[in-house]
Order: sequence, then C-alpha cells, then structure tokens
Amino acid sequence: MKKAIAILLSMVMALSATACGGNGTAASAGGTSAAPAGSGEESYHFEIVSKGFQSTYWQAVYKGSQEELKKLNSEAGYEKYTMNFVGPDSESDVAVQVQEFTSALNAKPSAIGLAALDTDALLDSIKSAQSAKIPIIGFDSGVPNAPEGAVLANASTDNYAAGKVAADGMYDKIKGRLQKGKKVRIGEVNQDATSESITNRGLGFIDEMIDKLTADGYKVFVTGNQKYVGDSKGSTGTEANADVILEVRVPSQTTTELCATEAGVILNESDTIAIFGSNQVAAEGIITANGTLQVCGTGDDQIIAVGFDSGSVIKGAVKGNTMYGAVTQAPVMIGSVLIDLLASAAAGEEVKDKDTGCAFYTSANIDNQEIAQNLYD
Amino acid sequence: MEKKKTETHRPLLRSFGAQQVIVIGVIVVLFLFFSVASASFRRYTTVVTLCNYMYYILLMAIGVTFPLITGGVDLSIGTGIICYSIVGSYMISQKGMPVLGGMLVALLLALIIGFVNGIIIAKLDLPPFITTLCTMMIARGLGSILTGGLSGVWPMAGSPGGWCRSIFKITVGGRVIPIGMIWMILLVAVMSVILRRTRVGRYIIAIGSNKEALRLSGVNVVKWQVIAYLISGLFAGLSAISYACTFTNITPGTGAGLELDAIGGAIIGGTSMTGGSGSIFGTFLGVLVISLLKTGLPYIGLQANWQQIITGMVLIGAVAIDMAKRHQAE
Repeated sequence: MKKAIAILLSMVMALSATACGGNGTAASAGGTSAAPAGSGEESYHFEIVSKGFQSTYWQAVYKGSQEELKKLNSEAGYEKYTMNFVGPDSESDVAVQVQEFTSALNAKPSAIGLAALDTDALLDSIKSAQSAKIPIIGFDSGVPNAPEGAVLANASTDNYAAGKVAADGMYDKIKGRLQKGKKVRIGEVNQDATSESITNRGLGFIDEMIDKLTADGYKVFVTGNQKYVGDSKGSTGTEANADVILEVRVPSQTTTELCATEAGVILNESDTIAIFGSNQVAAEGIITANGTLQVCGTGDDQIIAVGFDSGSVIKGAVKGNTMYGAVTQAPVMIGSVLIDLLASAAAGEEVKDKDTGCAFYTSANIDNQEIAQNLYD
Repeated sequence: MEKKKTETHRPLLRSFGAQQVIVIGVIVVLFLFFSVASASFRRYTTVVTLCNYMYYILLMAIGVTFPLITGGVDLSIGTGIICYSIVGSYMISQKGMPVLGGMLVALLLALIIGFVNGIIIAKLDLPPFITTLCTMMIARGLGSILTGGLSGVWPMAGSPGGWCRSIFKITVGGRVIPIGMIWMILLVAVMSVILRRTRVGRYIIAIGSNKEALRLSGVNVVKWQVIAYLISGLFAGLSAISYACTFTNITPGTGAGLELDAIGGAIIGGTSMTGGSGSIFGTFLGVLVISLLKTGLPYIGLQANWQQIITGMVLIGAVAIDMAKRHQAE
C-alpha cells in the first residue's frame, strides 16, 4: 500500500514538475508550429522571446503580434507566417530566458524577436544566431549593448523620451505649487536599476524635471539610488539650499510589495508633492501604498502621482483621480511593428529602428480613441 | 536549588522565555532607532503600513510554526500564497465567481497542498525539506498554468466585490484603521491555545521532541504530523487572501523567498529549528522584527540590498541563540 502511494505520488509530482519545467513557455501562444506551406509557397517561422507574460502589458504586445501575423497571412492567402511567442514568468528569471532563447535557436526560425533581460547572459546564444545567419529584431527594451550588427532593428518606445513625457505631464500640474525657498520633494520609484528601458525612462524623467525646474529658477538636489543619481544630469543645488529634492528609490526585487514599500516611504514624507512610477509594477506599488496612506489625488494639498503603462488598476486610479495621469506606450503597436520587421528581415530586406511612440493620459482624455486603443486591462 | 532561586527572581523570563524577552527588547530598540533616525517613520501612517505589510507574513508564519515544531519545515508556502491568490483572482475575474467563492477556492487549494505535503512526509517518510521544495516548485508552476501566465488582481475598493479590501483596513473620517491587527491578535490567541492546551498541539510538540517514543506509546504519529502540515496549508491560504486584499498585482511565478520571512520570523521568535519547542506569541514577535526591518530600513536611506543583508544578519543571530539554547539543554 505504502509503495503504491509512493508510486502514485511520484507520478503526480513528476507530471507537475514537467508542467513546471515549462515555466517560460507556459503561456506560449497558439499556432506555434511551423506552417506546412503549399508547393512552391514561401513560409517563415518566427521565434519571439519576450520578457514574460507577467503583466497585461506583455499580453498586449502578444495581441499586437498575433493580429499582425493574422493580417499578413490573410494578405498572402495562406499561412505564410507562424510564430512561437514565449517569455519567463518573472523579469528576474534571466536563466529561464537564456534557455528559451536557446530553444528558439534550435527551432531554426526565419528570424527571432528578442526583448533581452540581460544581454551578457545571452551573448553566446546571440553569437550562435549570428553564425547561423538568423536575423534578430529587438523589441520593447530590445537588446542593449548587443555585439555590433547582431540586432538588425528595434521596435520600441524611445524610453528616455517617454520619461520626459511623464515629467512634462507632471510639471504642468505641480508648477503652481513650487516656491523658491520652500523645499518640496518629488519622488520616483523604479522597479530596478538594470533594465535599459526602466533606467532610460527613469533618467528621462529626472533629466527633464531638472531642466524644467532649472529653467524656472529652482535649485534641485537629486538623491537616492546611486545608479540613477550618478547617470542623471545631476544636482543644481545642495540638500540644504535646494528648492526641490528629487528622490529616486529602487527595491531589492521587482515585486509589487517591495515597490509599494519604497513608494510608501516617499508618500509618507511630509514635503512630498509628486511621485512617478516608471512602469506598471512601480505605478501599482504607488497605488498600493496610497491605499494605506490615502495622500494621492489631484487636489492642491494632495500628492500628484504619475504612472506608466496601464492595466485595470492604473486605469481605475486615473479615472478616479487617485493617480493624476500616466504615460502609455503603444504595446499593441510594438507587437505589430515587430512582426513587420521580422517579416522584412526574414525576406532579406533592409530594416531599421522604429519608435512606436507614447502619450500622456489623464482622466480628461483616457477615453479618447487615440489613447484608449493603447490601454489594456 | 540555585537554579530555582534564579528563576523565581526572573518572572518575565519565566513567563515569556529568555529569547522572547530579547526579541521584545530588539523590537523596542528598532522602533526607537527608526523613530530617531527618520521623522517620517514617527507618523501614524507608518504604523498602518507596517501592519498592512505584516499580515501575510504573520499568517504564513503562524502556520509554518507547526511543521517547524514537529522538526520539519514547509517551503511551499511562499510560492503557494501567490498560486492560491492568483487562482482565486482567476476564479473571480474570469469565471465570474463571487469574491467569497474565490477565497474558498484559494483556501481549498492551500489545504490540498498542505495535505499532500503532510501525507508525503508522514506516510512516506520523505524529508520535509525535499518534499516541500518540490511542492514549492509545483505551486510556482501551477498558478501560471491555471491562469495562462496572466497576472491577477482582486476587486479594488469601490468596485463590485471590493468589500474584500476592507477586511484588513477601514477608513473612518479620512483615517485608515488597521483592523486586520484585531484578527491577527485573535488568531495568535486561538492558535496559542491550540498549541499549548489541546491534544493537537501537545502531540505536535511531542513529535518534535521524540517522534519514536510517541509512536511506541501508541499515538498515531502520521495523523498528527499530517495535521501540522494541514494547519500550515490553511494559514498559507489565509495569507494568500490577505496578500490579495492588500496588494494590487499578483504576479504568477513569483513568491519564492516569501517563506523565508515567515520561517525567519518563527525562528527569531524562539521556535527551534530542530523541533520540539516554539510558541505562536514568539512567532508574532519574530514577524514583528522582520516587518519592522522591512518597513523601517528604507526610511533610513539604506540601499535595498543592504536591507537584505541586515535581515540575514538578524536571522543568523536568532539561529545562534537557538543553537546555544540546545547546547545548554544538552
């Protein structure tokens, strides 16, 4: 009896472990196998390795790629293009993404789409792709510091410019509350200090805020995470004489609860007038922290919160004026442009980087068509 | 005689145990230190935040204290709470279940994992570390598979089903009241009584002290060991509910490491790593130390990774005290 239970449980665990082994591919898209083309008809298979499926942002990228693939196939009149869209469960799972990229190479695709978590970890596989003459197209944050010529083009938001858009949107709202000699604090929460997209966004926000404040005659002191402080344009004043303290915080891991803790510290400072969360996780961390502190809003005595991306929680907070506004990228567009670039690269055509754009939205324009189409739940 | 005299002169030590008195001292020192070092920490809202982020760790810790006392461990609770809360969220948002239904599904799933852990460990005699490491991986994958890799959100305040956000905190006159602490204190009291005053608790402690002697005296050791893991599962389920009602986004595939906060809290509170002793009140104090560090360290401007280093050092201190106690007992 004991033996029978042991065998049964071992089987259940082995089965489950197999399922777990599909960590990154658990959410792989349908239509993943190479399409059997008709005689003489060309067919292309794309492998797309994303940063994950953990946020609805990635689901929107996937949706955009799926729709564009469908459109191209419909134009061709047969299943000319197929794709396999994968990604690790978490943006900390660098090793899982390396495995997925290796598997993608083994599938001998016509082209690969890649949003790298850590380029260094993928370096050998990227070189193998180059040797095998498989074109790589970057998307979202792309493949920062990739060997020259390894990535043919990128379909991505200019994240530095997107950070500036967030600063512009926030500054318009808070400039009336600034006074020389009266110290106030503007916070920024970034989920990490390693990802190119997040750091560029964070730095874009800090640099633009420094420029705007300096142009209006205010002294700024930038403090907090060393990476962001060091890479920014830098302070124009000291902690003692600054009119505005720009405080940058980064949690030890990319989780909502740790982002919420860091956001809570900024929101709890009595001189804080505004806060920026540079991606969906960080922005939701601000909303979580505010659930306890209840200090954010659009009133003159409330903290102006600005987020990034969307999702039901951020959309709800913007609509309800808990969060003043947010910057939306065009994730559906990123997915769609990615497929176009992959198709062109696979056919041997010349390809170049495409900025997929971004926009600032508040409760006033959240329902406008040009904004709404890029928002997702 | 000498020893008895000393004990009589230390009523506080006798009531709570030396380690718990030290832990209370550490809590007071930490609280004073953070309050002096940061003006923002001294605010009422910090206490609310501390409570809010403490619930899910405390619930996990209360549960895991039982396997720890048996001489085992339950590593599956960290990824487990993410799995249970994300499945609950999936049932609510995708399957149209009421929030209460989502909560019951989360609890049921947690109990199943707890039962599986208990059966494998007690009946098949597999090492608890390995068994729960496996179920930790299973829980991690299970949530992702069941929800197709999608992150989840439980209804927000003000939306249908948003009442779940008021279980642990309510707003009265613009001020947030952390009512969750009332539930926590009640649970600590109830589970303390179960551990100290009921047959379940006594047998669980006895398993950790001398499992073989208990078996030879005719007690169904398997049954009580399974119950210890069921309790751990039940509290992981409750922790999942508190996590989902506190935070906005539940990310599948995460949660690894959360169990260490809970296990660390239990150990700091005096639960022996080799089993046979421990208390729920001690666990409560231990979790308060962990939560104070998590909440307070960011206020003194320490970079995030330093926070982990300091928490690790506190844990080393707690384990060292546990080891010293054992050597003294031997």
